[in-house]
Amino acid sequence: MNRGGGALGSGGGPTAAATAAAAQKQKALLQRVETDIGNIVDNFNHLVNVSRVNDPPVRNSQEAFMMEMRASRMVQAADSLLKLVSELKQTAIFSGFASLNDHVEQRIAEFEQQVDKSDHLLSRIADEAAASLKELESHYYSSAQRANQPREP
Amino acid sequence: MGGKLEVSIDKLPVKRLDHIEENGAERYPADLGYEEKRLSLIRKIDFAWAVEKDDKKKQKKSANESSTPWQWQGMVENLQLAHQELSVIIDLIKTVEANNAVAVVSSTRPKPSPHEQLSDLAVSAATKLQCFLQLSKYFKQSAKALEQQVSKEARFYGALIRLQQNWKVKRQRLATTAPSSDGFTIDLFDNSIYNPASVVRPLSISTLRIERNSAGMLSICLPPKSTRTLHFTFLGMQAGVTYGKSNKLKTEALREDKDEALGDDGSVKKIHSVLREVHQAIFDEQVFDLVNREAFNPSLGVSVTGIRENCLQLSLGHGTSVAISLELSAADDQSAEVLDSHDFGTENLCSDSVNEVKSAEGRCDSFDKEIPYHACYEVYLQQIFHEHVFLRTKSRDDSATARASGQPDKDGSNLLSHFCMSLAHRIFSTKVLAELEKVVSGVPYLQLMSHPAWHSRTSSWTLFMRVPASIPNSSRSNTQDFYHVKHNIPAFRTKVVVTDDSIKVEGEGAPNVIGLFKGGLEDTSSINRYDCDLAGLPVIILQQVASQIIQWLHEEAIKVGIKVTRDFLRLSFELEQGETLSLVAHVDLDDPVGCISWWLVVDDGFSEEPNLHSEESEYKRFLGYLSLDVLSSALMDLVSLCN
Repeated sequence: MNRGGGALGSGGGPTAAATAAAAQKQKALLQRVETDIGNIVDNFNHLVNVSRVNDPPVRNSQEAFMMEMRASRMVQAADSLLKLVSELKQTAIFSGFASLNDHVEQRIAEFEQQVDKSDHLLSRIADEAAASLKELESHYYSSAQRANQPREP
Repeated sequence: MGGKLEVSIDKLPVKRLDHIEENGAERYPADLGYEEKRLSLIRKIDFAWAVEKDDKKKQKKSANESSTPWQWQGMVENLQLAHQELSVIIDLIKTVEANNAVAVVSSTRPKPSPHEQLSDLAVSAATKLQCFLQLSKYFKQSAKALEQQVSKEARFYGALIRLQQNWKVKRQRLATTAPSSDGFTIDLFDNSIYNPASVVRPLSISTLRIERNSAGMLSICLPPKSTRTLHFTFLGMQAGVTYGKSNKLKTEALREDKDEALGDDGSVKKIHSVLREVHQAIFDEQVFDLVNREAFNPSLGVSVTGIRENCLQLSLGHGTSVAISLELSAADDQSAEVLDSHDFGTENLCSDSVNEVKSAEGRCDSFDKEIPYHACYEVYLQQIFHEHVFLRTKSRDDSATARASGQPDKDGSNLLSHFCMSLAHRIFSTKVLAELEKVVSGVPYLQLMSHPAWHSRTSSWTLFMRVPASIPNSSRSNTQDFYHVKHNIPAFRTKVVVTDDSIKVEGEGAPNVIGLFKGGLEDTSSINRYDCDLAGLPVIILQQVASQIIQWLHEEAIKVGIKVTRDFLRLSFELEQGETLSLVAHVDLDDPVGCISWWLVVDDGFSEEPNLHSEESEYKRFLGYLSLDVLSSALMDLVSLCN
């Protein structure tokens, strides 16, 4: 990591700073993930613990409230995980430059191919039309029908 | 309070005897404590009116929810509340006991029997079970909601990724974005063709907001009547407008479908087509902008006759006017009427020019035949601007060479004049073709060959006349024309080339005056080139053809060994006693039978120049509209006559 940073650092300051920022962001995201998953596991543990049926009924309502609270905290953690996922998706959409560029170049190549194909097609059509016109004209003008045809005004 | 007065009557605060026991002791009711007296007084206050209000509200709610409440509902609720209160109290007691703060004074309970213990256990287990059931319901609901959210997000981001592969998606991190929009926009504007310093016509539709619709699916917010397309019309012609609608209506039919009817793929495709239409509309607006800029630079072939906000009228000369306009797309329901009113509007704007056009071109029918299909010119206009301005700019950027800011304008400066001149040329060449066809229809042995030049401002045709094969080893076969050498077919060709609006006629076989003067028999055939105008073209062609026939007859006669002289349209044989017998060609374009007719004229050297328009006389005889074979045999007859 340091070597990579050092090698890139020779290229320019911004690149190293960008790499450091990216690493920092990655750390933060991973931490959030761990927090959330830890939350879920933790709360589930407590939930299961609280579910024990005690011999004398002790702390009934307390336990009931505790169970509700743990459950809602679990759901909250799951929700924040989902938000994290959508943030990651957004980041992927707007930062996946390599794949985007590749795709854009691929599309450009496809479209240029299509342009060439259309041009060829058009020129072929033009040539065929010219040949057909020539043929039709020669047929018409040398036909007996035209020779016998009265002159059109 | 309602205005009603209610009176309640209390008992007098007199101690009354409650009951008398068997031993005679009198018992009176116990004294009420202070608190109890207060409570009883409070209870006497009639809160019925407030309770009634609540009841009415509850009745309304319950009437909406269920018609007949469960008869045990109230009891269940009361039991639940009681249970909750009881559990709170027990918790409190146990907590306090556990902390050893206080020794709760209580009567010693007898040891609970196993049955009681088990029932206590059962009750607590049932309570826990109840909690669990509630929790499970809660978890299920949350799981369902989260799943729905996940699938919505997946659909939204999936669609967004698919859009991003073709369009420029941008994200705004402003806090003021609406909750349904997420701050995503699609930027459709291509500003690469503009110089950084130039002022760009603002386009409100170039940035489109992405929104989530009610189903969580991605949708585009496109304001109505915001897209305009380029239209090209010839002024004075109303029928041409309908051609442009059919192509555009097909794409608009997609907008009528509802989102639910299409799957994810279908809705993404629909969005792609909407974005493509907007992209095209932006391109059309940019083209119109460039056309406007160029129109006001002085250039050849373009003169602006009218201007409105979204319409430009140009005059191409020869009485033809066109209008280039930006009109609303056919998608909007009301736009169909708008289009019509636009057309009438564009006509009304320059009514003088319209009247001129109509009077100059005659009837509308002939006008329609001469005017080419307007849709081709919309496409052509878009294509030349795209190729020369947009693509050239991009290739210039790619090559990354430093250029002065003034130079880019030069490349595209003459596009509009080129376009207008192409259009004028097309109209003119159609007229030329009509004239040529008229000529060819009047001469049976003349053929017309078109040569598509694939250049927008040049057209050419060849008039081809095949003559009957003559004696071999004739001088005709020694010509340099490779067609003759290849096919060994004697023929005359006249080439007509139209460049912009100038006509050039290039014909072989017209007599070279100097050659005739020298009296040389060979090399009298030459290629002459000369310019002419449209009015004179038919006559010139006919005269060219007639002179080619005369030359051919001249050569044929010389081959046989007869001395003949040739003039422009006359071939003269010498007879005895100084008389000359002439075969004269007469050219008349308006003759209903044929354009070239032949006369036989006898000239004794003293009479005047024969007038071919007069009737036949003893000096001249009308031979008719002879074919080339008949002419050849007539020549042989004349030759034998002269011998």
